[in-house]
Formats: sequence, structure tokens, C-alpha cells
Amino acid sequence: MISFVIDGQPVEGKEGGNILEAALDAGFDIPNLCYNESVKPYGACRLCLVEIIRKGKRMMTTACNYPVTEGIEVFTQTEKVLQARRMMVELILAMCPGDKLIQDMAKGMGVHEVRFKKEEKDCILCGLCARVCDEVVGAHAIQFSDRGDKREMGAPFGEEAMDCIACGACVVVCPVDVIRMEEKEDERTIIRWKRTLKKKKCKICGNYFAPWFQLEKFREYTKLPKDFFDTCYTCRK
Amino acid sequence: MSEMTENLDVFTVRTLTQKEYFAPGHRACQGCAEALALRLVLKALGRNVIIVAATGCMEIVSSPFPFTSWRVPWIHVAFENTAAVASGIEAALKALMRKGRLPYKKITTVAFAGDGGTADIGLQALSGALERGHDFVYICTDNEAYMNTGIQRSSTTPFGASTTTSPAGKVQMGQITWKKNMPAIAAAHNIPYVATACPSYPIDLVRKVKKAADIVGPAYVHILSVCPTGWRSFPENSIKLGRLAVESGIFPLYEIERGQYRLSINFPRLKPVKEYFRLQGRFRHLTDSMIEEIEKRVHQEYERLKEKAKQK
Ligand SMILES: Cc1ncc(C[n+]2csc(CCOP(=O)(O)OP(=O)(O)O)c2C)c(N)n1
Ligand code: SF4
Ligand code: SF4
Ligand code: FES
Ligand SMILES: [Mg+2]
Repeated sequence: MISFVIDGQPVEGKEGGNILEAALDAGFDIPNLCYNESVKPYGACRLCLVEIIRKGKRMMTTACNYPVTEGIEVFTQTEKVLQARRMMVELILAMCPGDKLIQDMAKGMGVHEVRFKKEEKDCILCGLCARVCDEVVGAHAIQFSDRGDKREMGAPFGEEAMDCIACGACVVVCPVDVIRMEEKEDERTIIRWKRTLKKKKCKICGNYFAPWFQLEKFREYTKLPKDFFDTCYTCRK
Repeated sequence: MSEMTENLDVFTVRTLTQKEYFAPGHRACQGCAEALALRLVLKALGRNVIIVAATGCMEIVSSPFPFTSWRVPWIHVAFENTAAVASGIEAALKALMRKGRLPYKKITTVAFAGDGGTADIGLQALSGALERGHDFVYICTDNEAYMNTGIQRSSTTPFGASTTTSPAGKVQMGQITWKKNMPAIAAAHNIPYVATACPSYPIDLVRKVKKAADIVGPAYVHILSVCPTGWRSFPENSIKLGRLAVESGIFPLYEIERGQYRLSINFPRLKPVKEYFRLQGRFRHLTDSMIEEIEKRVHQEYERLKEKAKQK
């Protein structure tokens, strides 16, 4: 374990961990939107800003991608930090003024008006969906395209995400809940990625249970027998 | 998180936190889905919680002196007063924050009890807490009997199940009463949120518990928890049994938000209840005609639920 200090309190973090995780574990409140333990930190939202003193040098950094380091001092509530975070949340709010979660977050941080040009986006470009799709699912179905204010998340050219297996992992991790899924009896759609997959019908009970394409991928990957997914989980002997 | 997430359990579970707030090494039986339910509930809640736990298996297996499995603040209370103690904690937190003695922070007060502790012994305190409108979450882990004291029937033991106090024999074919509808009783208090869940559907369970914690006011979550010891089933079948309970219509997954019912997952073709029963020794004595009777009632209730949810 690595010892360091947060807001005057001695804490410990595990080797290879980051400051945000250690701080949250120790009960400190640091706002964050693009962080999820299951994937590598990315530092996109910049809400987790903190000040640190390392070897006598003071600097501001994002906590989610700063490694826990022996002997550093971390400050989570300095005026400088709070001000910088307010600026970040204001920028995010300007990009996505309709997001309820961002609105609430901004209000909680004392941001009541937006001084920047407002856009009409709903995605905060945190990249969590693509990171989960790459690192957890391994489907690599979506990625960022373009840059600047044209930056967008999705399948190439905004078309149907042909590698998407409609597992829903991105639906679950999106912090602002804009990746919606529609489940019908015999098909599932990941609306944002324009991906609709037919579901497979269980040979025994007749219920549709999972997207065909997804089951085929699993079967290929695990080298299960061809008829393995002819039946649903509970009907399988 | 999107509404329809009950079937997503392949990769999605890996996006849940890897932190264990209910530590491994507890003394629950192999295949205990009640311990699994607890583990998932705590993952959903995170660390800013205060847990109030009634007696029952989950207390016994998690706190044999001098050990504990609880990595979050936890208090063990008597059966009768779980919801009352939770009420007091919630009120105290509010007062301390109002007076500036505690910094303002979201801390969720959670009461935990088994079916005996909820539907029978703790019902009065629960009703009071729901009616007073405390901002807390009540979790009932329902393994359908008083398991910790040796499988005695409770009011949520299903019809036909054999327990030590509703034994199957010459005189009686197991439990002779129908399962008490706890979610409906909770909902009758006009609380903002009621849900049913089952650890066989982990993402659905986590989503519901998070929602329960986020909503201001009382929330009640009723979790079916397979108990291999009391149900006389193989430990390796616990997840499957949870799924069969849902797929057969015996334990439908639904939410009641401000009085509005919504099915979380709907099966146009329910599985035969027999498939669920045949994996459990507690139903072994039932004849085909009895199973048919039970199935009829299950289907009736499922239809009624669908009507309430206005779903086809
Ligand atoms: C006031 C009181 N009455 C009775 C008991 C004995 N007792 C301990 S655990 C238990 C069973 C609890 O059943 P349930 O609430 O369904 O939880 P489970 O053990 O099934 O998880 C009983 C009756 C007790 N500990 N305290
Ligand atoms: S639903 Fe599609 S895009 Fe989303 S994580 Fe799964 S495979 Fe990737
Ligand atoms: S869709 Fe959601 S998860 Fe993906 S980048 Fe946008 S906000 Fe992040
Ligand atoms: S959580 Fe650290 S930058 Fe978003
Ligand atoms: Mg019980």
C-alpha cells in the first residue's frame, strides 16, 4: 500500500491505483463523470480536478489518471480547485444544456448560468461507452470521430454499428443515459448506434432470449458446440 | 440507466464495481442467493450508507464475534424494530446536517431483513416507517421461510412448500396458505417506489436498488433469494431457480413507481411451474393435479399484474 495525504488526512492507496479511487474509497467527495473502474481512466470530463503537492511543487491535475504516489499531498476543496471544476461543468453544460444530471451537478457546484455559446448536444463525449466496448466487451463497435465541436461518438460515418453485439454494456455505463435500448419480443435495438439484432428463439420453451449475432460471437469465441444456443439458459440441460 | 436492462448480464456485470462491501469469507451456505443478493445490493449502494439489519441468516453468517463481513457502517437490531431504528437514524442524520454538526452529504439509510423479519415480525415498524415517509430504503431478502432457525414457515412461504412447521405428510401437503403479497402491502402506503428483484438478474437488481436510494422518501425492494438448504435444492441450481421463478410467472419482476406498475421483463410464454418445482425437494410431494391448481393461480395473478401494468 502507498501512503499519502488527502486534505490533511493520511490515506492509503493500492499500487497502480489512482487518486480518485483512493479518495472515494476514503470517503472524500470528488465529482466525476468519465470514470469507471472497469476501464482505463481517460481524463475527459476534467471534473475530478484536485491540487497536489509533490516534491514541494504544487500543481492541478485530474485525479482519475494520476497514480497514487508515496508522500504526495492532495487537496480536493481549495478555492482554485472548486473554481476550475465550476468552469469545467459550465463548459459541459453549455455543450449539453438539456442534460438533467449535468444541470443538477452544475447547480450543486454553484453554477447557475452559462456564459458560453450553447450547443444542443446530449452526449458529453466522455468516451466511456467506447472504452467499455473495447476493453470489457471486445466488440470495438464505436469510436470517436472528427475533432473540435464536430467530435462525435458512434460507428464510422454515423451509420449502423456493424460490430455491435447489442450487449447493452454501453447503455449501462453512459453517465448521462443517452444510449437507449429498445427491447421487443424478437429483436433488440441499440437506438443510438442504429443497431437492430434479431433474437434467437429457444427450441424448447419458444421464448426469444438473446440476439443471434451475439450468441454466434460467443459460440465462436468459446468454441461451444453448434447447437449450444438452440435452447435458452433455463431450458438447457 | 435505461429501463430495459434485465437481460443484460453477460458483459454488463463486469462494469459493476469490483469493490466488495460485503466481504467474502462469511459463513453462508454454498449457493446461498441471499448472500449474493446482499453483495449486489451493497455494490449498488456504494460506501455512503448506514445499514440496519434484523436478525436472520444474513446477520448470523456475517457477524460471528469477533469477525464481520460488513465494510460499511452496520448495526444489528432486534426483529421488531428494524424499520424503527432506520427511521431514527434517518431523522438523526437530517437533524445533524440541519444543525451543521455534519457536513451535508448524501448518506443512504438502509434497513435489511428476511421474509420472517419483514412480512411477519417487523411489519408493524415497517408500516409505521413507510407511512411517516422517512427517506430510506427497505430491503427484504425473501427466502420464503425462517431459514436461520431451521426452515419454519413464514407468511411468504408459497402454497404447497414443505417446511418444518408446514410439513408434507398424511394430514397436510405442506404450506396451506398463499404467499403474502408484501410489495402490494408496501405500495398501499403510497410510497414513491416499490420493486421486486432477484440476484439471477443482477443488473436489474442493481438498477432498482440505485433507484430506490436516489428517490426521496421510502422505497421498498423485495428480493427473491434462493436458499438451497431450505428449498432442498442443489447449490449449483440457485441462479437457475431464480430465473425459473421469474420465467414461470411465480415471481415476476416489476416496479411500482408512484403507484404505476411496470413489468421489468415480460414473458409471452410462461414456463411450466413444474420445471421450477422439480428442482426443489420442498415441493417433491405435490401431485400433478396440485401443481396444476397452483399453476392456474400463478397465471391468474400474472394476468392481474399485467393488467395493472397495462402490458400485454
Ligand atoms: C426477537 C427474536 N425472536 C426470535 C429470534 C430467533 N430467530 C433468529 S433468526 C430467525 C429466523 C429469521 O427468518 P427470516 O427473517 O426469514 O430470515 P432468514 O434467516 O430466513 O434469512 C429467528 C426466528 C430472535 N433472534 N429474536
Ligand atoms: S451494445 Fe454494442 S456498442 Fe454497446 S458495448 Fe455492446 S457491442 Fe459495444
Ligand atoms: S454516449 Fe454516453 S458514454 Fe458515450 S461518450 Fe457520450 S456521454 Fe459518454
Ligand atoms: S473523472 Fe477524471 S477526468 Fe473525468
Ligand atoms: Mg427467510
